[in-house]
Amino acid sequence: MKFDMQLRARLAAMTFQSAFLALAIGGALLLGAVLLNQARPPSDTSQPAPELVRAIGRCAQCHRDETPAVVHQFERSEHSRSNVTCFDCHQPGDGQESFDHYNFRLARDVTSLNCRGCHRTEYEQFARSRHALPAWAAVSGPEGMTPEQIAFGERHHPGAVDRPPNPLARLEGAAATQTGCLGCHQIGKPNADGSIGSCTECHSRHSTSIELAREPQTCGHCHMGPDHAQIEIYNESKHGVLFATQRSSLNLRAEPKLLTTADMPVPTCATCHLSGLDGLKVTHDTTERLSYWLFDPVSERRPGYARAQAEMQETCLRCHASSSVKRFYEEAEAVLAATNERVRAGQEVMAGLRAEGLLTEDPFDEPVEFLYFDYWHYFGRTAKHGAFMGGADFVQWHGNYELLVHLAELKEIARELRDRHAGP
Amino acid sequence: MRVLSWVASRRARLLEGFVLGNFAFLVLDVYLAHSVNSFRHDAEWIPLAFSVAATALLGVALARDRWAARGPWAHRVGLVIGLGSVALGVAGVGYHLQSQFFSQLTIRSLVYTAPFAAPLAYCGLGFLLLVNRMVPQQGDEWGRWVVFFALGGFFGVFVLALCDHAQNGFFYPSEWWPVISSALAGGFLAVSLFDRRPPFLRICFGVLSLQAAVGLAGFYFHLAADVNGLSASLFENFVHGAPVFAPLLFVDLGLLAAMGLVAAANDTSNHGETA
Repeated sequence: MKFDMQLRARLAAMTFQSAFLALAIGGALLLGAVLLNQARPPSDTSQPAPELVRAIGRCAQCHRDETPAVVHQFERSEHSRSNVTCFDCHQPGDGQESFDHYNFRLARDVTSLNCRGCHRTEYEQFARSRHALPAWAAVSGPEGMTPEQIAFGERHHPGAVDRPPNPLARLEGAAATQTGCLGCHQIGKPNADGSIGSCTECHSRHSTSIELAREPQTCGHCHMGPDHAQIEIYNESKHGVLFATQRSSLNLRAEPKLLTTADMPVPTCATCHLSGLDGLKVTHDTTERLSYWLFDPVSERRPGYARAQAEMQETCLRCHASSSVKRFYEEAEAVLAATNERVRAGQEVMAGLRAEGLLTEDPFDEPVEFLYFDYWHYFGRTAKHGAFMGGADFVQWHGNYELLVHLAELKEIARELRDRHAGP
Repeated sequence: MRVLSWVASRRARLLEGFVLGNFAFLVLDVYLAHSVNSFRHDAEWIPLAFSVAATALLGVALARDRWAARGPWAHRVGLVIGLGSVALGVAGVGYHLQSQFFSQLTIRSLVYTAPFAAPLAYCGLGFLLLVNRMVPQQGDEWGRWVVFFALGGFFGVFVLALCDHAQNGFFYPSEWWPVISSALAGGFLAVSLFDRRPPFLRICFGVLSLQAAVGLAGFYFHLAADVNGLSASLFENFVHGAPVFAPLLFVDLGLLAAMGLVAAANDTSNHGETA
């Protein structure tokens, strides 16, 4: 009996040892699992919804084969470094049409609404800028806009939103307009979800790059050619030449609110028009620092001229003495005034012909109308942009010289029309 | 006790049935799993074809030899399928890791690569066929090998559950249960290879019952998630949602381990099968 009890006690002790060892092995495995899980990046473990975690790797599983470049672009982006996942941007926002995509519910179109979730201030600045609804309306009029969008756009840009499309767009037809004009003007497209425009025009889609938005070539993608030759002017300017030679030493990735002249001692388009250099206010309203309607035939001061010019000059002062800035603006405004005079002279020629019944009321149905359009739209604008951007050759040869030549041509054609009308 | 004795006396046939059933089930499981990838690579058809062929050939061979694993047909066919299955499993692990992990070598890529532990199921099934043909069915060696491969299976399930639920960020705390459960099974089965005394084996059976419970609960949770999934069809939900059959591995491996433990427990009373 005693022996039996001793045996039982011994067996129980041995069973306890085995069970303890088994639990220790299981516990060690579990500890390893927990430690491994804690070593994962926060984006993979701390998300507000499981879809956001799954999207990190699940999307890439297929898209590494389907569209590998977008995966690589995203992996190099600031979004990726900030633990943003694919689903953060691709999940449907309020009012967005969605579709099923391999057990994810995704927005059919990713618009500025999706960006607004995190970048509300930037979106609001952009939405009231000329890049937004006025850019779209220039080609399409108010087509596709909700009454609320029209009211919003008109509040910030009276007459530039609820307006007819440019007559050239109608004449050139839908095919040319869609692929040509809207290739750039869609930056301000009204979206069906109620939001306005597309942030990806400047920041790209999966790179979502600040650096890209600061590259002159990004702006030059649209701001180029004879009617708005900003990139050509910039490239010719001292700013552009310095950028070309010092590009490799610049830090175009600097955080917008922390950007200093140490990061970018050479300005690009974004520096003067948008950036918060050395503590200045950052803006996504490309209109804020503009003091004149330079794109008009005859350029007038914009509302808020003094404030806008002061803000732009604040940026100039990061590099230039106040006397230089003052002189620069005086010279530019002198060019502007002279150009306005030349354009007015052309306008008078056209107005005279129209008053005399030598031209129809329809736009762009007579050669002289194209000549006049080129006159102010190409050469007038170029001269003024050249003056405000430090592009000497564009003020002179591509601007004023062409204005002289074309004014002479306009006058000659007017004389011929009158002679022809008067008869032999 | 009578049930245990019955199981022990038919251990070889039961193991053949277990392997055959698993190969048959893998046809469906691999089809669903590789549908995620739309069978993008031709190699993804290989395990499917292998599972179909293995089920058919082994089934025919066993039927011909009246379910005797060491009958002339079943023995040879089993050896060929067993060796092929092991090779397929090893190659599968390589392919799955190649999908992401080998190019990046990060924890993230290990989590989101194709489930690299899954093809090891073929290794396990292949080795079980070999064990059933090469290890004496009397004595304790057979039971130990079966428990050893069940233990390997639980380690695989541990990794699988860890990686799969890591893809979800362990968003729901219950997602840790299969990890805890399989770690526990691993610990007890590892010790059971050395401690075969009835009191400890009874605890092991308890732990295996827990595995079955966790597996069935997991099956319910995965099924519920898929039924309520976002895709247009239930099939799409099964393909792209939670892997519905994966939790049943706990039940499957629990049965396998129980078979090995029963054989081990029975060794003391010299009950074996002469197949």
